[in-house]
Amino acid sequence: MELLVNLIINGLATGMLIFLLAAGLTLIFGLMDVLNFAHGGLFVWGAYAGIFTYMLTESFIVGIIGAIVTGALLGLLTEKFIITPVYGNHIQQILITLGLMLVLQELIKVVFGPNGVAVKTPSYLAGSWEIGDVIIIKYRLFIIVIGFVIFGIFQYMLKRTKIGLIVRAGVQDKEMAQALGIHIKRVFLYVFMVGAALAALSGMLMAPYSGVIYAEMGMEYAILGFIVVVIGGMGSFSGSLLAAILVGLAGSFMAYYVPVLSLAVNMILMAIVLIFRPQGLFAMRKERTS
Amino acid sequence: MNNKISLRAFAFFLLLVIFIILPFVNDSRTLLILLTQIFIFGILAMSYDILLGYTGIVSFGHAMFFGIGAYTTAVMLKQMDHTLLIFVLSIVIGMILAGFISFLVGLLTLRLKSHFFAMLTLAFSGLFLVLAEKWRSVTYGNDGFTFRAPDLFRDRMTFYFFVLASLVVIFLALYRFVNSPTGRILIAVRENEQRTKSLGFNTLHYKVIASVVAGIVASFAGSLYAVSLRFVNTSVMAMDITLDALLMTIIGGVGTLVGPLLGSAVIEYAQHALSGLARDYPIFERWIIFFGILYILAVIFFPKGIIGSLRLLFGKWRGRLKQRKTTGPLPQEKERFE
Amino acid sequence: MTTLLTLNEVHTHIGQYHILQGVNFEAKEGQVTVLLGRNGAGKTTTLKTIMGLTPATKGDIAFRSQSIKKSPTYKVAKLGIGYVPENQGIFADLTVEENMKVAMRKEDTATLERQQYVLELFPDLKKFWKKAGGHLSGGQKQMLSMARAFINDSQLILIDEPSKGLAPIVVEKVMEAIVEMKKKTSIVLVEQNFIMASRIGDTYTLIDDGRTVNSGNMQDLIDDEELKRKYLGIG
Repeated sequence: MELLVNLIINGLATGMLIFLLAAGLTLIFGLMDVLNFAHGGLFVWGAYAGIFTYMLTESFIVGIIGAIVTGALLGLLTEKFIITPVYGNHIQQILITLGLMLVLQELIKVVFGPNGVAVKTPSYLAGSWEIGDVIIIKYRLFIIVIGFVIFGIFQYMLKRTKIGLIVRAGVQDKEMAQALGIHIKRVFLYVFMVGAALAALSGMLMAPYSGVIYAEMGMEYAILGFIVVVIGGMGSFSGSLLAAILVGLAGSFMAYYVPVLSLAVNMILMAIVLIFRPQGLFAMRKERTS
Repeated sequence: MNNKISLRAFAFFLLLVIFIILPFVNDSRTLLILLTQIFIFGILAMSYDILLGYTGIVSFGHAMFFGIGAYTTAVMLKQMDHTLLIFVLSIVIGMILAGFISFLVGLLTLRLKSHFFAMLTLAFSGLFLVLAEKWRSVTYGNDGFTFRAPDLFRDRMTFYFFVLASLVVIFLALYRFVNSPTGRILIAVRENEQRTKSLGFNTLHYKVIASVVAGIVASFAGSLYAVSLRFVNTSVMAMDITLDALLMTIIGGVGTLVGPLLGSAVIEYAQHALSGLARDYPIFERWIIFFGILYILAVIFFPKGIIGSLRLLFGKWRGRLKQRKTTGPLPQEKERFE
Repeated sequence: MTTLLTLNEVHTHIGQYHILQGVNFEAKEGQVTVLLGRNGAGKTTTLKTIMGLTPATKGDIAFRSQSIKKSPTYKVAKLGIGYVPENQGIFADLTVEENMKVAMRKEDTATLERQQYVLELFPDLKKFWKKAGGHLSGGQKQMLSMARAFINDSQLILIDEPSKGLAPIVVEKVMEAIVEMKKKTSIVLVEQNFIMASRIGDTYTLIDDGRTVNSGNMQDLIDDEELKRKYLGIG
């Protein structure tokens, strides 16, 4: 029982972090038809900028804000200078965003030093609660709560607000959205910035969870993000939550029961989905529109 | 036209002669090793060009074929015997393995759209990397292992000539391949897959052929690489190898075969020079940043690479604005319209 | 009658193809201008070019004597041109209500009054107000698309083949709606169905191989058997 609860909490926490990373990826892909291979770079920049702000100000909250601001700013620059010039050309997009990933990752080493940085959980989130014989680590619960809150906020915005309507309309038919007077390129920019900020937030929250941050973590987690986007269906927001939880749980259970497979299980999962259901497990109706 | 071909053939011949004479004129060990490295990565980059430049597909998993070759050769030389026969046999087995795996992977994934394909190849090569790390009884994991090269290759110069000869053979073979009817169809797939399909060609079939050819050649490059180091570890399967091939192809010029060779020379030399500089100026330890930036700029402003841009310049100079067919820019996915 | 829209020697390239090679026509206020021509003559591209979806490469397009040739699509729309594409462009995952809402640039009383008006024109929309756009029938999609184009204070609405793929009885309804909408706005209509076009059109422009070949009052075309045979294959 204790083990089961722990594995589930572990899996959920990891899943939530991957969800935050994948949410941006999937929105950007759905709306702009851009698969951002540099997303992991935004993630790792969020982690470093956030943690350094946290260490400087000794406030975890300020650190989180620092990460989000850094992410949004990097998102702004990326969209303007990297994505816009190659808009509409998939192959160039794939190539250029991968190049940016490389640069962002190496820049981390230049700015913050090549070695990993150890991270401490803020005191009020450290430690654990004991409920009966089940031990729940506070920080993991914190991540899960944050994840659900953010999902809730976004789901509300997408379903209930005008800007959400515009984004959903743009995901389905960019040309028509423009013909209705929507400045779609500006919407692209905002969505890209929001996606980047989410990735940065994910990196920041990941830092105390894993205890250490390092430049290569961007690519490692980005791959998990890609897997989630594929399994969840590209462009599907709620699909990415379900897929992220699936990937998180699979990783946590495999790591305990079949550790040899833990690294491979998600890749295999993605390969199977891509081959047999390339639109994703929870894909939207998008393709059937016209 | 005839005149031009012979001119080009003459240039190649001249270069070849220079590379044959060079070791006798300048017997610097460093230079020899650097050139060997350039040739090996040249072969790898040319194989990548078959995919990116000629067929218009982006693979992020090319390292797995390179790694298959490297491990096959290394393991066989270590566990069986370090003879020339085993070496040749290991190359053949590596190529067969790589060909088989690229056939399977290609068949499963090449029907998908470009992003999915790029991602899936990334995942597959990730799997192979994990395999190399976990199968410690054979690969010794991350630490890798050293092994003895065939006696003949003890001498760096002999190995240099062997690699040079391989490069020439592979280059000529690939040149024939891309100019064959099959190669022409690959170019058609790159230019407009939909139209090629509607002309009655099974494009998946041709894309699989391209991926098998590229995989086999990459495996061969991997075998040579392992022998050149007499050591192998998981880094031969790592993303960096794919990135190197990508960088060389883009910077040299996609869809030209010569471009990737030039790209290999540029990148390998620059790595060598920059890592030298790094001893004095630590910023150069992060030389990969410069490549990354160069690469981004190349994709935006210079998508034809060195060779492609030169050809364009030549074309203008001759008043022929029309590019040669093989000098296509970075493949574009045509926007659909009614 | 003032001229709303003028196309002057408009050329459009898509990729390497030269689709429009000199389209000229005028649309006047309060009228229905019909673009006629064979399949592939460039009628749809003409509408897309006006909207800036396939920008013109040569010539000029003026709306209320202001050039919109270089304007991005969203600006063209904001100037007051509504667009009903051939495939209706309904957002399948959005409900009818949401489809209307996403089109509204203001939510003032005038807009709500117009919404009231189109809902009376198309009672089906009211009936399926909360239904997803993707689940509507072809005719309902057509009505929703027209309602959406009308919801803002559009002075001109471009409608691309509204009768395509619809049952005759539905076509009749759509045409009646166009006649009704004409009281409030001007319309440029692409229509293959000559009988329909001749019934509701005031003026016509004949397009063939990407060029304007003839324009005039609808009645003149109805009487000109020669022209009809040559470009429309009827008569």
